[in-house]
Amino acid sequence: MSYKPTLSGSWWLQHRFFRAYMLREATVLPLVFLICSLLAGVYSLASLEQFSAWQEFMAKPWVIGIHALALLASLYHALTFFQLFPRVMPIRLGNKQVPAILMVAGQWAGTVAVMVMFLWLFGGGA
Amino acid sequence: MQRDMHKDIHIQRYLPEENAEPFWQTFQVPYDDTTSILDVLNYIKEELDPTLSFRWSCRMAICGSCGYMVNGIPKLGCKDFVRNYPSALRIGPLAHFTVERDLMVAMDEFLDHLEAVKPYLINEPQDKQAPHRQTPAQLAKYKQFSNCINCGLCYAACPQFGLNPEFVGPGAIALAHRYNLDSRDQGQGQRMPILNSHDGVWSCTFVGFCSDVCPKGVDPAAAVNQGKVESAKSMLIQMFRGGA
Repeated sequence: MSYKPTLSGSWWLQHRFFRAYMLREATVLPLVFLICSLLAGVYSLASLEQFSAWQEFMAKPWVIGIHALALLASLYHALTFFQLFPRVMPIRLGNKQVPAILMVAGQWAGTVAVMVMFLWLFGGGA
Repeated sequence: MQRDMHKDIHIQRYLPEENAEPFWQTFQVPYDDTTSILDVLNYIKEELDPTLSFRWSCRMAICGSCGYMVNGIPKLGCKDFVRNYPSALRIGPLAHFTVERDLMVAMDEFLDHLEAVKPYLINEPQDKQAPHRQTPAQLAKYKQFSNCINCGLCYAACPQFGLNPEFVGPGAIALAHRYNLDSRDQGQGQRMPILNSHDGVWSCTFVGFCSDVCPKGVDPAAAVNQGKVESAKSMLIQMFRGGA
């Protein structure tokens, strides 16, 4: 005789670690909204009215709010991803293991470089 | 050191001949700063209730027998101390496994997965008398993963294993990876089909709690996810070869 416990649907609420994991996975939700908005933008290029309607939609405060959330969510996801990366892809140079902190710092440097480049490309106005 | 303190210890009991359902029982146990969870269980068995069933052996975190859930977290009874729990202390059997009696779980599911990944050196040495040679650098590649003591804490921490018992799981995959990384081993081709399968490495979503609870610092989550890189490579190679 024996019994096998089953996992309830709320298993991820039981522990701080699982809640942080679910938060990481949930970062995809605002990103899906951002991608849909951008896709709608591509389709709106068909006509001038559609494009101005799309521009109006993108300027709505709640849309800007969700897009700001998407930025925060992707930065949080990047944080977790960068921390996990050295464990999944350990790099050896000769007989020496590249320190994890160096790999994490390198990835953040890359992120900042891309952000600076985009600011330079698109941030200057007209 | 503080002595002569007493604490209420709540233990999840399961006595199938008396009660079809598991139930909680509370024992008052003396403790000091050096009292481990295993000491508590032994005290209860010797002084309070000889019917309490639990597994243990070495008392020094190497046999891997005394895994329990302590306040919902998988722990080795011998490596965890009462002093770490200033408030309530609840001890239950390892999560996600079939419970046979009190704190004893059936390890068969884990052992079946372990056996399936062939966790041993597979090679055909040209000269059977010659020793296996290995450099320190070759040893360093897999050494961390060879510290696994098969305690099963990582399985009790893994919600993916809890949801799908067919998932090969962190411990077995860590050991498969350990042998795949071993320069003396030629068995990767035999292990990859099971790692590539749906219930292999791809069932892992990198929750990462398995590595957090591992008492030996094996980092099974890293092994599983390094296994994903290997699995992707092996699947690509198969695709280009045109084989299934």
